[in-house]
Amino acid sequence: MRRVYETDYKLQLIRDIKDNDAVALKSIYAANYFKVEALVLKNNGTKEHAKDIYQEAFLAVWQNIKQDKFTPKNESSVHGYLYTIAKNKWMDFLRSKEYKKTMVSDQINNFNAPELDVDTDTNKLKEQQLTNVMQAFKTLGEPCKSLLRQFYFDKKSMKDIAQHLQLDAASTRNKKYRCMQQLRALALKTNTQ
Amino acid sequence: MNPNTNISQELLESVERYFNGNMTADELSAFEGKLKSDIDFQTQVEDIRTLLFGIESQSLKEQLDDFHNEIPNTSAKKAQSKVRFLHFGKIAAAAIVVIAIANFWFFNQSPNEKLYANFFSPDPGLATTMSSNSNFEFYDAMVNYKQGDYKAAISKWTTIHQSKPKNDTLNYFLGVAYMANKNESKAITYLEKAIEEPTSNFKSEAYYYLGLAYLKEGHIEKAKSSLENSNNNNSKALLSALNN
Repeated sequence: MRRVYETDYKLQLIRDIKDNDAVALKSIYAANYFKVEALVLKNNGTKEHAKDIYQEAFLAVWQNIKQDKFTPKNESSVHGYLYTIAKNKWMDFLRSKEYKKTMVSDQINNFNAPELDVDTDTNKLKEQQLTNVMQAFKTLGEPCKSLLRQFYFDKKSMKDIAQHLQLDAASTRNKKYRCMQQLRALALKTNTQ
Repeated sequence: MNPNTNISQELLESVERYFNGNMTADELSAFEGKLKSDIDFQTQVEDIRTLLFGIESQSLKEQLDDFHNEIPNTSAKKAQSKVRFLHFGKIAAAAIVVIAIANFWFFNQSPNEKLYANFFSPDPGLATTMSSNSNFEFYDAMVNYKQGDYKAAISKWTTIHQSKPKNDTLNYFLGVAYMANKNESKAITYLEKAIEEPTSNFKSEAYYYLGLAYLKEGHIEKAKSSLENSNNNNSKALLSALNN
């Protein structure tokens, strides 16, 4: 019995994260920030650094769960994973050129170890495409952006969105389609730069 | 993304149905068939996947500052600073109290309890293999047992035990799991069943743990007679300690 309950709970957590459930995401966000802030502050960082690195890590965790690259066993494994990613990102930043620029040059000239690159070309391409789409979505006009966000991120029903826009379902669907075309065209343009 | 292909509204909506698992069986098998055979189609589906994932990713990213402002910061911050500024002296005092209590407890143990504590260590368990044998449930519980989750192991083994009440392996491991879980009287009932099987591989071990369980319960004579039936070295050592 207990096992069934746990499995159910685990699935529910994954489902909530995948469905972008605001309550679940916010509670994970809030639960781990101060641990990461303490780590960054102790290691030559500021609060702004901590926030940036934490948000990057949070997004990465969410993306990995969405893509089944990471399947958490329970809530604490999500917390552990988030903390580890944030920590690694901060360590990477400390090793990065951007950071070293601000340091005295002779301190760092000695070790320029080549970074291990495990990404394959297809992975890199996909990564680049995703960045392009995200960038395109950022610059997309607000009406389209809001429509697509409500449908794909908030998972609102077509009926609710149509009602809100005071349109019928068919024209809302068509509008959504045209927004997607705009987004795709923008993303492709970003690609050629 | 491929700029040369066109994604129709119909295609977009059918891919959405595919991602959301809303296709009928017929539609799904046709869709998957096309996905296998048609490379252009594959690319189109992947492109749509990237678009949707990008929309979601960017939407979340743009909400993170709101998330950040909503962190209930008072409680977390206070809790942290409290720990940080706790005086070393207070921690040391707490440690001394804990050590004192532990010592008090340890030296107040009866000689038999001490013996028990010296001798008892849980059976290491059986090797678990990744085979698809019929004993899956048994080995599944063995994994719990080895991880120290004795409760889970006991509940799984108890279920199997109901259909095989005379199985010596089950009786033995239920016994040692109950001992590891500090329930000696339960352990005794199972271990006594385990030793009923005259040809059991676990006979010697079962007598040893049974002896230990009796010792813990304070039945010295029963413990001795049980230990006498075991050939393992620990049994002999424990027996001679009891006789002195």
